[in-house]
Amino acid sequence: MTLDWSVVWQYRGALLEGTLMTILLTVLTMLIAVPAGVMLALMRLSNSKPLSAVSACFVEFFRNLPLILVIYWAFYVMPVAIGVEFSAFTTGLAALCLNVSAYNSETFRAGINSIRKGQTEAAIAVGMSRWQAMSKVIIPQAWRRVLPILASTWVSLFKDTSLVSVIAVGELAHTALQIRSQTFRVLEMLTAMAAIYWLLGYPQAKLVDWIQRKYGVKE
Amino acid sequence: MEIDLSPILDSWQYLLGGLGVTLLLSVLTVICSTILGAAIALARVYGPAWLRVPLVFYIDTMRAIPVLVVLVWTYFAVPILFGFNFPPFWAALVALTAHIAAYVAEIVRAGIESIRPGQIRAGLAIGMSQAQIVRKIILPQATVRMLPAFGSILSITIKDTAIAAVIAVPEFMKRSETIAGQSYHPIEVFTFAMLVYFVILFPVTRLVDMFYRRVAHLGRS
Repeated sequence: MTLDWSVVWQYRGALLEGTLMTILLTVLTMLIAVPAGVMLALMRLSNSKPLSAVSACFVEFFRNLPLILVIYWAFYVMPVAIGVEFSAFTTGLAALCLNVSAYNSETFRAGINSIRKGQTEAAIAVGMSRWQAMSKVIIPQAWRRVLPILASTWVSLFKDTSLVSVIAVGELAHTALQIRSQTFRVLEMLTAMAAIYWLLGYPQAKLVDWIQRKYGVKE
Repeated sequence: MEIDLSPILDSWQYLLGGLGVTLLLSVLTVICSTILGAAIALARVYGPAWLRVPLVFYIDTMRAIPVLVVLVWTYFAVPILFGFNFPPFWAALVALTAHIAAYVAEIVRAGIESIRPGQIRAGLAIGMSQAQIVRKIILPQATVRMLPAFGSILSITIKDTAIAAVIAVPEFMKRSETIAGQSYHPIEVFTFAMLVYFVILFPVTRLVDMFYRRVAHLGRS
């Protein structure tokens, strides 16, 4: 067995591009999925029965599906259902957003529910509106409990972006697998891919631990 | 758009077989990763200090790398390095176990560490050995506290087996993909696959929740 690691250096440009694409996907998905999650959580907790039911169905549906299937589904079904052709990137982004929004919604709902009901009642008793009670009393406190979970969702999302490689979005996993099949340097390319994910993911995992220690709610 | 369910009806046996593979792979992965994860966590908490460094490194590495990468690496790179071929199913079992065991280890550790140290001191004070304290005081309470997180491991495992389609394990996802490609009816086939996964996964998460609510009082201290 002869190993030729120069192939990794030779394709450094493509790998760097793939890495940037992975980061871009992660950031964009989170930017969309946080507001979407807040909206879904508020819908779920609202007094309107239909709004609450729609949100519950959406969240339960997407939490209980393998992401890879959602990606395939978005790739084949979304263009037909909506009638617009999307690029692979947009499709992958949409699938990731559907998945992560559902998880974020549960995170926010749990965070809001973790603040005792008495506080909302007290806020309303001193003359605040429901919205003021939410934005001035509940959310500032819930935020601390939400942040650690949001951070670990971030790391999961970073790893899950590798799944959009199945619909040929040119992120890190797809790029590395492409180079592998062009050059036949299987071991080198796969190890390089794992190493790049590790280099990016390891500090993030450690950062999540730190955030959890700092903000975690002690019993 | 015309909906044609005949590709699904024509190959229901093929799909059902895929579902069997999915469930078998899930069950085996859960069993193996529970055993491995619990062993890692116990070794990390109670084992010698030098063992802690490689174990923490292993756990954090698995938390940092996508399961897809672990799967692909196990299937394609391990044969080159060690010279033996994994059939896809076994490669998937090894890769998923290696990945999920790290998460199980974190859950078990969090469960053990959630038991107040006062209880250990109390155990020591009445003359119990370290092993007795672990067996009779810590693990019974910790196990109950781990249940909700462990329930999510069940559904994560079932969802992750779908990724094994990438290395051509003939499980439900892979077979759905094959039929979608052959029949040119991806919309019907993938929507059907979604419903099937939902019907399997939704009761799993619900049953675990219900079971936990029934036993939660045993974990309080």
